[in-house]
Amino acid sequence: MSEPAPTDAAVALEEGYFHIPTAAGEPPRLIGTRCNACGEHFYPRRETCAKCLSEDTAETLLSARGTLYTHTFLVAPGFGDNQSKGDGYGVGQIDLPEGPRVQALLLGERGSFRIGMPMEMVLVPTGKDKQGRDLLMYRFRAVEG
Amino acid sequence: MRDVVVLGVGMHRFGIHRKIPMSQLVRTAGRAALDDAGIGFRDVQAAYVGYLHAPVMSAPKQMKEFGLTGIPLLHVENASATGSVAFREAWMAVSGGHHDCALAIGFDKFSDLRFDVSAQSRNIEGTILPVAFFAMWATRRMHERGTTREHLARIAAKNWNNGALNPMSDRQPDHRITVEEVLAAKTISDPLTAMMSCPVDDGAAAAIVCTREFADRVAPGRPRVVVKASVLRSETYTPGHTFLGAVIGPQQMTTDTAQAAYEASGIGPEDIDLVQCHDAFSIEELEYYELLGFCRPGEAESLLESGATEIGGRIPFSTDGGLIARGHPGGPTGLAQLWETTLQLRGEAGKRQVEGARTGLCHLVGGGSVAICTILQRE
Repeated sequence: MSEPAPTDAAVALEEGYFHIPTAAGEPPRLIGTRCNACGEHFYPRRETCAKCLSEDTAETLLSARGTLYTHTFLVAPGFGDNQSKGDGYGVGQIDLPEGPRVQALLLGERGSFRIGMPMEMVLVPTGKDKQGRDLLMYRFRAVEG
Repeated sequence: MRDVVVLGVGMHRFGIHRKIPMSQLVRTAGRAALDDAGIGFRDVQAAYVGYLHAPVMSAPKQMKEFGLTGIPLLHVENASATGSVAFREAWMAVSGGHHDCALAIGFDKFSDLRFDVSAQSRNIEGTILPVAFFAMWATRRMHERGTTREHLARIAAKNWNNGALNPMSDRQPDHRITVEEVLAAKTISDPLTAMMSCPVDDGAAAAIVCTREFADRVAPGRPRVVVKASVLRSETYTPGHTFLGAVIGPQQMTTDTAQAAYEASGIGPEDIDLVQCHDAFSIEELEYYELLGFCRPGEAESLLESGATEIGGRIPFSTDGGLIARGHPGGPTGLAQLWETTLQLRGEAGKRQVEGARTGLCHLVGGGSVAICTILQRE
């Protein structure tokens, strides 16, 4: 799957959560926060360190790859009478090397996920905005190869 | 700080009640609690009104139906924990000397909520359905502890069968539910099946608390059910903290909340006779055996296999059917737990009665997230 780039045709579903690559071969990256006082990293970005409560924090780009901590496959997405007509989808939590545990939808078949497997972040279109541009959102999938 | 007594409890059966107006659910629960307490609405000095999905202004609008007595009232919301938190507000008001008698009431209709559950979302938080979130707890535990689907099914079957004994339970099966039937139900999110999951339903429940003196005057000679602890906590930062999309924060939050309740009351897990917990999905009850301190980490499966958590066992859990069978309409759930515990401690639980029940623990978590533990004891 080729990595989309910000163009007139695609924008982030919401600003401030991930960086859309601008060069070919560049992976998308989550935007997080690093605390300058204690060194802890967080996703999503935040002003105040959740660990030491310091306000001396800075935005940082996080790794595009991590390790699958846990997963499920939502076979029948629904809540009461709200039942999705679409296919099921994977959901997982991925540990990034900097420390944050990220929850995200997974790309991949039911039964294909294993705790501990290396995962990588990709961007997929999920709907369009009023101007007809693709709205991009991240997913994680098993690293190929 | 004054001791607080649970004077009366009441509820409307949980279930899918499309044709019953919310006001009727509320009236039924409120009237039942007042009648159980043996008081009128004039005696209520404050009302703490819990709901998630009723319209704004529902607190005064619903309370006016009981009478226009000018009492202070407010809307309480802490997601799934709402009912217990409303109860805590009433307890604090009486304990702190602000009122002698207060009402906590909860109501909600989840069955008519409409929202998009597909993978496409309109915002970054997405729609992470609770079933998927807790299914991930199960996947992780199966990996770490060797938990099987049969363990998850056994808890669900136990709670369905307890629900059959509770006239207020949403799910009251007409036959004995087996592990096999739970496993054969439709899978919602691996490894959870529909029968391991609480229903999406409606209901109302209420509790009235008061001072000892008030209870002595109104209900002399009745068993005294006293609030020994009510502890509410929110998240603390832990390794592996997940901020975006996590329905409930770290499991440590439940442990810390229970610990604080045990310390505040001087009552430990060994003194507890029955437990109601946040069993929205059966994996949760399994984890809460450990997190609430009833066995050591890694031993929850053994505790379950021993039969200890069935009615008749050493430490029954979810005696009223739990969230899985009795239901979970949000606002009233915590008050349903307290309804059950109060009846059990009075010896009024009929076929569900835990022999000699004297002390009960109620636990809930609420999305965002919070955890609350309440300990009641009969004197």
